Amino acid sequence: MRIVVIGVGAVGSRAARQLHGSLSPSSDDLAVVDVHGGRMEAVAASLGPPAHAAPWSPATFDGADVAVLCHGSSGDAHRVAAEAALERGAHVVSTSDALDDVVGLLALDAEARERGLSVVVGAGFSPGLSCLLARHAAAEFSSVAEVHVAKAGTGGPACARQHHAALAGEAVDWRDGAWVRRRAGSGRELCWFPDPVGGLDCYRAALPDALLLRPAFAELCAAGSTGPDRITARMSASRRDRVTVRLPMLRRPHAEGEIGAVRVEVRGRRGAATDALVLGAIDKPAVAAGAVAAVAALWAASGRLARPGAAGLAELVAEPVSFLRELADRGVRAAVFEGDPGVASSSL
Amino acid sequence: MRALRRAIVALLTAGVIAGVLRLRGSGGVPPQGGGWRELSGSDLR
Repeated sequence: MRIVVIGVGAVGSRAARQLHGSLSPSSDDLAVVDVHGGRMEAVAASLGPPAHAAPWSPATFDGADVAVLCHGSSGDAHRVAAEAALERGAHVVSTSDALDDVVGLLALDAEARERGLSVVVGAGFSPGLSCLLARHAAAEFSSVAEVHVAKAGTGGPACARQHHAALAGEAVDWRDGAWVRRRAGSGRELCWFPDPVGGLDCYRAALPDALLLRPAFAELCAAGSTGPDRITARMSASRRDRVTVRLPMLRRPHAEGEIGAVRVEVRGRRGAATDALVLGAIDKPAVAAGAVAAVAALWAASGRLARPGAAGLAELVAEPVSFLRELADRGVRAAVFEGDPGVASSSL
Repeated sequence: MRALRRAIVALLTAGVIAGVLRLRGSGGVPPQGGGWRELSGSDLR
C-alpha cells in the first residue's frame, strides 16, 4: 500500500503517525509532503520507514493508493490536489473544513464515480467525527427530523485561521427543505459539550457540515421522504473572536489549540414518540482529525467505504460503529449524553 | 439643533446597549440532570 500525506502540520503529522502504525515497514510506503522542507524531513525522520519525505509535484501521487490532503486551504488547493490524485488513480481523503474546499471537492463526485475512486470530504474532527456521530445517532431513529452539530476548539494555525474566517463568512443551513444562508456570528446558542469543556456559546459560521450531512440523510430516508427538516452547524467563539471577526487576526495563531469538542444532536421519531439523542467527543482537534483521516484513508485503500464518489463520512461509511470502534482503539472516544435530552439540548 | 443632539444621543445609547447585549446576553439553560457517558463495549457492537 502506498499513501501520500500532503501537509504535515498539526493534523497531517498526526495522520501520518496514525498511518505509520498501520503500515508495514517492508512492503508499504508512506510519503510525507510539505512546503516546509525542514518540517517534512523532521516528521519523516521521527516516524522512520516506511515514511519518507517527498517533494511536491503531481507525480508524487504516481502509484499511490490514497492521497491524504492535510495542507491549509487557500483558494482551491484541495480540489487541485484531489484532481491530480484522481487522475493518477488514488483515492482522496481531505481534512479541510473550508466551505469552498468542500463545495469544490463534492463537485468531483461524477469524476470519482467514473474512475471507481472515493473522495472523502471533510475527514477531520468536525466535519468528520461529527458526521460519523450523526450517522450513528440516526440509526436509533425511525425518521430523523433535525440534526444539529456544534464544535469547539481549533487544531493548528491553519485551523485557527479558518475558524477566524468562518465567523466572518456566511452560514449555510438546511431548513424546511431548502438551503438557507445566514450571517455568520448570529444565532447564539449555549451548547453543552462533554466534560471538561462544558457549556460554550456557539454561533452560526461558514461550516460545511450541513452540506455533507444533507445528502447522507436524504439517502438514508425512505423514498418520498424529504429527510430532516433542519440541519445546522455552529461553532464556539469568544467575545474577542466576535469583536475582531472583521479584522485580520490580531495575534499570530497558536501552534496548537487546547482541548476541543464536538456535539451532535439528532431529533426524530422512535416508534410513536419523538425523541432526541446527543452524542459528543472531546480531544485535541488536530489529534482527533488526524486519527479520523488515517482511518478513512485505510478504509478507502481497503475498499471498505460504501461507494465510490465524493461525499462526507456520513454518506461513505455504512458501518459507523466499526469506524468509531477503530477510532476508540486509537484513543478518540465518543460519548453519549444520558439524562433528559430536552433539558440537555439547546433549541438550535 | 436640540432634537438632532437628542437623536444622536439616543442612537449612541441604543448602539451601546445593543453591543452589550450582543457580547453578553444569556445563552441558555444548563442541563439539570444526567451527564455524559463514554461509548464503549456494547455501544460499539
